[in-house]
Amino acid sequence: MRRKSTAALSGLLAMGVVLGASGCGADKTEAVGGTGGCDTSKGTLVVGVIAPMSGKLSAIGLGIRNSVQLAVEQANEKCAVKGYQLKMDAQDDEANPDKGAAAAQRFADDSNVVGLVGPYNSGVARAIQPKIASSRLVEISPGNTDPVLSRGPEFATAPKRPYENYFRVVGTDDLQGPFNARYLVEKEGMKRIAIITDGKAVGENTATQFAKEAERLGARIVIREKINENDNDFSSVLTKVKATRPEAIFVGSEYHVAGPLSKQAKDLGLNVPISGTDGLFDPQFIALGGKDGDVATSVGAPIESVETGKAFVDAYTKKNFSDGYGGFGSFAYDAAKVIISGVGKVTVSADWTGSPEQRTQMIKEVQAYRAEDGANGLVGFDEYGDSLNKVFTVYKVTSGAWKDELSDQAEAK
Amino acid sequence: MLVGALLPWASTVLPGGAYPDRATLQFFDAPHLVSGFRLHLVLLGVLAALLSRARKPAGIGVAVIALVHMGFLIGLGAPSIGGPVALAGGLLLMWPGLTAPAPELKPPGPAVARLVLLVAFAALVWLVSETLTAGGQSRATNPYGGAEFLAFCGLVLALACALSAYGVLAWLAALTDRHRFFAFSVMLVCALALPFTDAGTGYWMTVASTIGVYAATAIGLNIVVGLAGLLDLGYVAFLGIGAFTAANLAHVVPFPVAALAGTATAGILGIVVGAPTLRVRGDYLAIVTLAFGEIFFRAAQNNIGGLTGGANSIPGIPPISMFGHAFDKPLGVLPAGSLYYAVTVVMVAVAMVMLVNLRHSRTGRAWAAIREDEDVARAMGVRTGRAKILAFLVGSMMAGLAGAVFAHKLGTVGYESFDFSESVTLLAAVVLGGMGTVPGAVVGASLLFVLPEKLREFSDYRLMLFGLALILIMRFRPRGLVSS
Amino acid sequence: MAVLAQQIVNGLVLGALIGLIALGYTMVYGIIQLINFAHGEVFMVGAFGAHFLARYVLPEDVRWYVALPAMCLAAVAVSIGVAVAMERLAYRPLIGAHRLAPLITALGVSILLQEVVRVFYPGATAPLAFPRMFVEGHLAIGPVTILWTGVLALAVAPLLAAALHIYVERSRLGRAMRATAQDPDTARLMGISPNRVTLATFVIGAGLAGVGAVLYGIHYTQIDTAIGFQNGIFAFTAAVLGGIGSIRGAMLGAFCIGLVKSLAGQYVWGGVQYDYVWVFVLLILVLMFRPQGFLGRPEGMRA
Repeated sequence: MRRKSTAALSGLLAMGVVLGASGCGADKTEAVGGTGGCDTSKGTLVVGVIAPMSGKLSAIGLGIRNSVQLAVEQANEKCAVKGYQLKMDAQDDEANPDKGAAAAQRFADDSNVVGLVGPYNSGVARAIQPKIASSRLVEISPGNTDPVLSRGPEFATAPKRPYENYFRVVGTDDLQGPFNARYLVEKEGMKRIAIITDGKAVGENTATQFAKEAERLGARIVIREKINENDNDFSSVLTKVKATRPEAIFVGSEYHVAGPLSKQAKDLGLNVPISGTDGLFDPQFIALGGKDGDVATSVGAPIESVETGKAFVDAYTKKNFSDGYGGFGSFAYDAAKVIISGVGKVTVSADWTGSPEQRTQMIKEVQAYRAEDGANGLVGFDEYGDSLNKVFTVYKVTSGAWKDELSDQAEAK
Repeated sequence: MLVGALLPWASTVLPGGAYPDRATLQFFDAPHLVSGFRLHLVLLGVLAALLSRARKPAGIGVAVIALVHMGFLIGLGAPSIGGPVALAGGLLLMWPGLTAPAPELKPPGPAVARLVLLVAFAALVWLVSETLTAGGQSRATNPYGGAEFLAFCGLVLALACALSAYGVLAWLAALTDRHRFFAFSVMLVCALALPFTDAGTGYWMTVASTIGVYAATAIGLNIVVGLAGLLDLGYVAFLGIGAFTAANLAHVVPFPVAALAGTATAGILGIVVGAPTLRVRGDYLAIVTLAFGEIFFRAAQNNIGGLTGGANSIPGIPPISMFGHAFDKPLGVLPAGSLYYAVTVVMVAVAMVMLVNLRHSRTGRAWAAIREDEDVARAMGVRTGRAKILAFLVGSMMAGLAGAVFAHKLGTVGYESFDFSESVTLLAAVVLGGMGTVPGAVVGASLLFVLPEKLREFSDYRLMLFGLALILIMRFRPRGLVSS
Repeated sequence: MAVLAQQIVNGLVLGALIGLIALGYTMVYGIIQLINFAHGEVFMVGAFGAHFLARYVLPEDVRWYVALPAMCLAAVAVSIGVAVAMERLAYRPLIGAHRLAPLITALGVSILLQEVVRVFYPGATAPLAFPRMFVEGHLAIGPVTILWTGVLALAVAPLLAAALHIYVERSRLGRAMRATAQDPDTARLMGISPNRVTLATFVIGAGLAGVGAVLYGIHYTQIDTAIGFQNGIFAFTAAVLGGIGSIRGAMLGAFCIGLVKSLAGQYVWGGVQYDYVWVFVLLILVLMFRPQGFLGRPEGMRA
């Protein structure tokens, strides 16, 4: 019995080793990360990343990780932080608040960590915020869209910033939902709108904000239904929606739900445009069934119209990462650049010690940061830590490809 | 054989480029050439040369260390000669397959026994702390942490096998059994001492208290699955019920009341779920519990009755606070999270005591009878219905209590924490540790949480290895890793 | 009225697709009393096998009547390969083991297969578009519409079930299966090899799942690694509902599940967000009060 068990154990370990070999192959670039000619005598500083890198959201998480990696490597090449080499430490939160909190605690404890990019899920952010508040580690999220995180539970009426080390580079649900509604109701003249959501926080919250604005503008929300995340069969919900004779369907979800949903709606004879937020704005949306006339709003000006956005895409493509930058890579890239710029300034006057005072100084530097040359245009923060970049763009599927319709400032109501 | 013993030594003389220089383990960080895994190899070589019974375990250790380093070195594109040489040495050591049965050691007098137990458990805590810190915390500053950790595990494995070959482990187990109460107290004290060791950082305290919550839950599941033989695939729902109950009451009543309420609610729902067990059996029961789990998950996602917060979860749950001290703050020299760790240790200890007592009670024997054959049990006069409901009641209450701690510790509760994969994780913890054994669930939960934390390189393969582990254990060691 | 008719059609199409998976569950359970949790994954790998063929092997401009049979063959081959490996490596060694061992192993196999595909199949971390290898568009009967792929599923699934039924009733192997299901020990005494019968059951179940996977893919035009688990649970529910071990029952149960899901979303309290819940409630009620299902024999319940 015992011999069998040890054999099994060593078998497992041996397999771990084989996997380790393949895993390390991919990590090699990180370990070697160019320091070409820069002075790195003072040591290594770490940019932490927390994102879902395994499981259903891995495509998004890996895009975030790789984009931060790109920013860090570029900074090392340019000697952005004098005397230090920068490294990225990416932790997988598995979209699980508990795992995210543990990873955040690890970064908060580690004095070499200068800042944190992440997390992606608002739920994880809620667990991380109180964990790192006392260590004053600066946190910039590339993907949280829940307004409560920066403006408190009474965000619409009495906003109050709960954590001053929390920032984000994406617009919140209460901006994008209404922006989408204004386009659909005012520009396209839709009067009867159906809403379908997938039960996840982003989808639900944007849909709620969308509904509020659409009704304010005089449209009617004829039905609101929630489908299950893993479903591929939407015929039943669409039959129900069809009976309410909507002129458009707002989908609070991502492309892998909205694409097939668009196709299945058409197949049922419900040939109305689908509209949604940045979760839909992906080429895969069209491959999966998105049709001409479908609409998606997305944060920032169109990436091709922003010179720096194009540069980001080119640089990312050149690195030959195994995964694409995903929907939030460009934001993670911007967030990492904010942190790198901050630590560059803090270390001018004194060596990095990771003391609470220095981390507080980091928070001030991040708060004061302002640049027009982010991958998504303007990068900067208001008094709540929310992004100053309130430009949104409407994209429409035209002859089988996304085409930008208009870009505009969204005002919080 | 002599050559075999010498080969690992040889490998230390043949350095393998930049990598081995950096592969030092923290506690052997001396400025000698021979440090880290090379020191381990030397130690194992000495062990093999001096102690004949330990030859095979030492061989295993050497082979594991060699394999780990070869794997990582090949991965880094810098293969060295030391690795294969050491591997050959390890294999040679393992070759002579004389397996003399371990000697029986006589139990010493009570005083000596207590001293031995004290030393043994202290050594265990030290070992746990060293294992946790092996390879360092940050993968950015030490990219070889994974290799160092695995190599250290190889050493620990070799030492454990060597002790077992000399009958020391069995001897210790016998001692523990004889002085059960004393051993348990020592273990509790030792566990509570963990924050004072190297592993006493805020990060490890956070991880350890998470493990504690899951271990307590897994012990509850162990009662249902391991003792009564009722496979529950929706068990995490009870953790969720406890957590949501406590979260809703957090601002209204103090923690002990909220925890009690969470425990009670979970217990009541445990009976509700347990009721169908009177009618269905075996595989069908597993499916019924899975269905209940899914129903709970959907209901929580849809914010049923406004109790779960739906997609937005319930934020802002205050930390446990007693004697004017919030538990998430550092206490004196102890890092933040130590108090939560202490709470979970006590919780796990209570659960373990409960498990032991239940197992040896009348109910426990009834469960064992049901587990083996329900019809026979009934024929023998066991009131199977009552016993089955009781298993669900106790198991779900345990989970409910753990859920209440979980909610306060995390500060936010959302439906995502309670999906099917969490039920599988808990089941894997029970199966890995050994169904029905006392330390099983704790060992299982620790492995399932510590390994992913230490081996970040493999995060993509985490679930895959879970699945594989479930299959392999069922195939080769269906009674778990700790049972002998 | 039009809505009701449309919902019934939606439910029937879903039922037909689930039915092909349910047949595998019902057969395996009938023979060896194992809930093969991983059967849903056999379906899933079949879908990926077909996707692989269409995406990487077949030329771009291939016509559907060439591609569809080829994809079916690929899916069936992959499904059968995985199922046989699973039976030989994971389940067979467990004969006589602890009662919970096969079920936990099945769970392990299920996770392993999902993860292997997710990690190693290119692009499988996100949902993949499935090639549309059939007549586009739909059939309209009054206000009710049904995709041609749905028509295909509604035609093929009952046909395959009927063929299987006849095969099990008439052929030599089928008789051996029925004998083993009724009394394995006596069957062995009569010279039937239980291993061979079990393997044959896995092969047939996997083949049907493979065909089902292609039909599923062309109908919903997208696949991901989670389709196996979700539909596997539904299919299992269907098999239990119809009476486990009964081929006609599995098909009947599947249509019921499809109808419950689509009609509950339309008409029952809570709307679409609770449609799964009603399926599970139905499952619990059936298991509690009529564990032999619609068409099963009362003594079929063992475990």
